Amino acid sequence: MIADDDPGILDAVCIMLEFEGYNVYCTPDGAEILNMNSKLPDLLLLDIWMSGIDGRDICKQLKQNPTTNKLPVVLISASRDIEGSALAAGADDFLAKPFDIDDLLNKIERNLVN
Amino acid sequence: MSKLIPETGYKATFNKISAAILLIDIDAPLYTILDVNDAYLIATNSTREALVGKSVFGAFPANPSDEEAENIRMTIFSFEEAIRTKMPHTMSDYRYDIPIRGTDEFEERYWTTSNTPVLDENENVSYLIHSPANVTELIKLREKEIASVEALKNHRQQLYSTFMQAPVGIAIFRGPEFVVDLINPTLCEIYGRTVEEMLAKPIFDVLVHIRGQGFDQLLEQVRLTGSPFKGQGYPASLLRDGKLETVYFDFVYEPYREIDGTISGVIAVATEVTEQVTAKQLVEEAEERARLAVDAVGLGTYDLNLETGEMITTKIFANIFGFDAPVPRADYVSVFHPDDIKLRNMAHAEAVVSGQLFYESRVIWPDKSVHWARVEGKVYYDAASKPMRILGTLLDITAQKQAKEEQQKLMALVADSEQLLRNITTAAPTGLWMSDEQGDITYVNQTWIDWTGLCYEENLANGWLNSIIPEDRKRAGEKFLEDLANKNLYEVEFRINHIDGTKHWCVATGRPQYRNNGTFSGYIGSCVDITEQKNLQQQKDDFIGIASHELKTPVTSIKAYTQVLERMLLKKGETKEAGMISRMDGQLNRLTSLIGDLLDVTKINSGKLQFNDRDFEFNDLVKELVEDLQRTTEKHKLIEKFFPTGVVFGDKERIGQVITNLITNAIKYSPHADKIIIHTGVKNNEVSLCIEDFGIGIEEDKLNKVFEQFYRVSGDMQHTFPGLGLGLYISSEIIKREGGRIWVTSKHGEGSTFCFALPLKTKTKALRSDYIG
Repeated sequence: MIADDDPGILDAVCIMLEFEGYNVYCTPDGAEILNMNSKLPDLLLLDIWMSGIDGRDICKQLKQNPTTNKLPVVLISASRDIEGSALAAGADDFLAKPFDIDDLLNKIERNLVN
Repeated sequence: MSKLIPETGYKATFNKISAAILLIDIDAPLYTILDVNDAYLIATNSTREALVGKSVFGAFPANPSDEEAENIRMTIFSFEEAIRTKMPHTMSDYRYDIPIRGTDEFEERYWTTSNTPVLDENENVSYLIHSPANVTELIKLREKEIASVEALKNHRQQLYSTFMQAPVGIAIFRGPEFVVDLINPTLCEIYGRTVEEMLAKPIFDVLVHIRGQGFDQLLEQVRLTGSPFKGQGYPASLLRDGKLETVYFDFVYEPYREIDGTISGVIAVATEVTEQVTAKQLVEEAEERARLAVDAVGLGTYDLNLETGEMITTKIFANIFGFDAPVPRADYVSVFHPDDIKLRNMAHAEAVVSGQLFYESRVIWPDKSVHWARVEGKVYYDAASKPMRILGTLLDITAQKQAKEEQQKLMALVADSEQLLRNITTAAPTGLWMSDEQGDITYVNQTWIDWTGLCYEENLANGWLNSIIPEDRKRAGEKFLEDLANKNLYEVEFRINHIDGTKHWCVATGRPQYRNNGTFSGYIGSCVDITEQKNLQQQKDDFIGIASHELKTPVTSIKAYTQVLERMLLKKGETKEAGMISRMDGQLNRLTSLIGDLLDVTKINSGKLQFNDRDFEFNDLVKELVEDLQRTTEKHKLIEKFFPTGVVFGDKERIGQVITNLITNAIKYSPHADKIIIHTGVKNNEVSLCIEDFGIGIEEDKLNKVFEQFYRVSGDMQHTFPGLGLGLYISSEIIKREGGRIWVTSKHGEGSTFCFALPLKTKTKALRSDYIG
């Protein structure tokens, strides 16, 4: 599952991951994630700066909820200080924008295995 | 009664003779009394009837005091001698006491009696005229005389003893030779001789060495003229213990007169006063030395008699008043400067009360020149507290006065220029300050006071910190103390609470100051209000921050599309197209890097650059980065020359960013070289990294500029090596913020070596704990 409020990025990443063979669900609305009921994705790619809601807050809530806290979360941000933010929010991994496709795929694979 | 004296006339005469007479018959052993005259009866308290016709020894028995009947034997002997020799015989001065009639008492009497034989026609002794003379008074007188003589003898003995023991030397010299007739041990001791050595010898024969010292003439003069001579403190050279010594005497020479008035010699009385004279000489010498000392420092002295107005002054005193030699007091008074007379009179009036005289006055010399004199003195009073004298000193203080005037003029000039400086500093639109070597503020100008609303005193010492807002205060204070400790140029930015109610940004700078002798004296500095610039800068930073973040978003999606496209083309076997897309991705990386740099600079400038410090293995990081970067160049061989470095505490990402920047630069600026050497190591508690390239190098005058913001290679090569000129600036800021240092060595045309070093441990420096509250 991918959440980013920028349609360009969301579109490009979805195309990229689908091309690589992943089953991808893309949404520009971060709040939607919190409304996931029974079906949890295998991994969540989450943008930090989204209109209306902060990706770090979503991540914190997921990690505090016992039903979602096992879900691997990879935070994505244009901020260079993402490492600190990701750790503070309890994310499993992070990725700075703009990123290389290889880096993205590596991180996804690593966290899916975990 | 065989013989009678018949004639009446003779009888009457006999009875009227004042001498006592007894006519005695020569009928030994009776010696009958033939007749007696009235004087005899009176002298013996007897009557004619009790005596005439009786033996003389019957009439006058032995006295009770004459126990041996000496008188009787003596009388018989005298009678017999007169009869035998037919010459008168006298018994002298014998005692025969006379009974006091009517009592048993006797009266002491002495007698001298003559027994004169009276011859008849045949020249035979007819009778004896016995005539006792009462010599009692005479005898008594003689006894008294003897007692007197005895007393006189005692007295003389006492006198002699006194003379001999007298603590003054006494001698009598007789005759023209001045023979020592008498001399006491005291004088002998003075002469250094014994009495025996002196006595009966001419004085100058014994004391040969004092001949010619004037004493012989003096003695001679007294002996001849009879007028005494008194000498005081007279010096004489005398031999003592074999050495000639100068000793001093008080002495009197008196003529010695015989009973007839003639002068037979001289009596000398002398005391040695050497000690007194020596003491006096010492006092005189001390006085002389004091006088010399007073002269040497140019002090004039005076002694003013307040009763007579008479004043004794020294030559120097006179000189200070412009006279060649001492003059009467009135003359001195006449040369006082007219304006100072009143002051001088007041000083004198006060002196009489306080006992101390002090004033400074001008005096006018004959050549009309004006001189300054300082008069000091002490007043002396009599028993009735009446001021009698003033003793004191006078000093020429013209030079001091002139120097003081010069100094005052200078002080006035300094005050003027200080006022001018103050006016200038107040007019300046800049805060100005000064500190001492301890960092305590000693001066702020009016501009600063106007900004902060703190008064001058409130800013002194560390008071100035109170004008800084609390968030910036500690940083500003610590930076100042750090720079002070190293005597560095001080520069810091902080915000102050401006009197207008808003916060103003200031940049404070201070330059260390040194005294003429080279010692550090503190800081002189300024404060410039940079609120306006700061606001503009903030706007710029905000804009760049937002812009770069906004730029990243489309770049991210373009990059994602590009990479997907590349993969799709590769899958289709369109390698040529895929290669073009790959190069496009490379350009996107450059664009990303530029945007990142812009964002970093913005953060550095606004102090928002964040660090996530943690421990990491330094060499591992370098190795990882070198491997990544080796992939970006085929031309250059990145050579690792690593020494063990151990663990560094810092922001791994940021430090990695610096290493990447340095290696990327090395590749970029050595287009014709084929290798780059990367050194690591530890030295002096620092981990260091050096990137050595063999490229274009840097001109020497540009070396210290390469770490500045927006510095770029200029001139012909400007377009060969594009860039924003931010990379090294960001690197140096990161290294500085991590507590390290960064530097470069280079030779133009041969290559450069960029290095940085990071501390192994965090260094802390002790700063003034009292400065920042």
